[in-house]
Amino acid sequence: MKDINMTTMAKYSTRLSRRAFLGAMAAGAGLIGLPFSLRAAPAAAGPAIAFDGDALIRARDTLSRSDGAGGWIELSAPEAGGIISLATHPARPGRIVAGLTGGGVALSEDGGHRWEARSQGLPDAPVTAVTVAAAESDTIYAAIRGDGLWKSEDAGRSWALAMDRPWLADAERDLTALASVDLATGMGGIWIYAGTELGLTRVPDCFCRWQEVQPGDAMDALASGQPAPSQAPLPEGETINGLVSAASLPTRLYAALPSGIWESQDAGVVWSQISGTGALAVAVHPTNADRVVAITGEGLVESRDGGANWTALARA
Amino acid sequence: MRRNVIILSAIAVSGLGAIAAFAQSHGGGVQSQDVTFLGQPVTGEQIALGQKVYAQNCASCHGANLEGQPNWKRRLENGRMPAPPHDESGHTWHHSDQDLFAITKLGVGGVVPGYESDMLAFGEILSDEEIAAVLAFIKSTWPERQRDVQARITAKDGGGS
Repeated sequence: MKDINMTTMAKYSTRLSRRAFLGAMAAGAGLIGLPFSLRAAPAAAGPAIAFDGDALIRARDTLSRSDGAGGWIELSAPEAGGIISLATHPARPGRIVAGLTGGGVALSEDGGHRWEARSQGLPDAPVTAVTVAAAESDTIYAAIRGDGLWKSEDAGRSWALAMDRPWLADAERDLTALASVDLATGMGGIWIYAGTELGLTRVPDCFCRWQEVQPGDAMDALASGQPAPSQAPLPEGETINGLVSAASLPTRLYAALPSGIWESQDAGVVWSQISGTGALAVAVHPTNADRVVAITGEGLVESRDGGANWTALARA
Repeated sequence: MRRNVIILSAIAVSGLGAIAAFAQSHGGGVQSQDVTFLGQPVTGEQIALGQKVYAQNCASCHGANLEGQPNWKRRLENGRMPAPPHDESGHTWHHSDQDLFAITKLGVGGVVPGYESDMLAFGEILSDEEIAAVLAFIKSTWPERQRDVQARITAKDGGGS
């Protein structure tokens, strides 16, 4: 048993190191190869996507915005570097929060046209996921690769460590996705759901402990003394590339996985696959929980009926 | 009229001072009547007992001043989390009285199967009265805001603080 665990750990270590190394090499090569004047503009690594009201912001090779019928316009990426994660909040139209490949967070207040660094106090490592607290639009969470979950209560002007990374399968795991889920924990706050390379986890926003998703709130789990078994969890051991909770219906979750796009209608207890195309990022409309878009291996797709039907969206 | 107000204010201040002195002499940082545990008012004697029990059983990990272990948000080498503070900088006040009692008596692993923690199950070491007293002492140190929030969490959990 011990040997098996060690083998598994070694495999993950190798994969992580290789991924990090290749990413760093690619970023470095890209920077060196570009004329200085162009270095800021094209650095949108992605893939990441978010709704800003009815508009879409997408980081995939370049940073672009679509306000509907007008198609896509290309935006200037933050000078601080490429974007690997995006977040917005329905109460703050025009505000885009971006986690950066080179470390730090950038924030735009005009729909992604101009960016300002909001990185003071953050560790200098890639921000693999960001989310805005559902109930506090100035509260931002950032997942730092190799470090932990950080919190800002002043829209990124200052940051503090909220919690270390979750401990799964005998090791700390980086967060690959974050979603503030506006459902009561029973501890005076709401949940933060997170994706990892090994699946889904969550933590109350008082940050007492990472825990599995269970039916009911944390109180029920404590009172029963037994974790209620998830009836249909996400595929075991699969990386969660993207994760969102619908602001208009917080129990509705969408997850982007290599195996496809998955949906839960009960805050993550029962999941169903709504697309078999491997997905890299996902976003849900702020007022319509059935309208979901995803960056997949086959391009950008949209569903307006909760995933029953999908159409390809034209690219910029 | 103004004179009456001044006299009444003076009496109130004297009274508060006497209550505070009483509470302080019994170990609590606030008036004991402001603190309840599982819906019952806490006495100065309970807080004093709790302070003593805390010093003997809890302070070695959670800190003599309830400050927790250094760097308590960072995981230990063994994957477990250090002992958190019990003052307002920690998350203890986000848990209901019922939860706090269960976690102290059974240990975190006792109420959340599979969760590994260095926290002992104090049910074999302390009586229920001592556990209630130590939690009452911890609660007595919280600022008003934290006590109010925790009272609401306890009430929602059916405990009626």
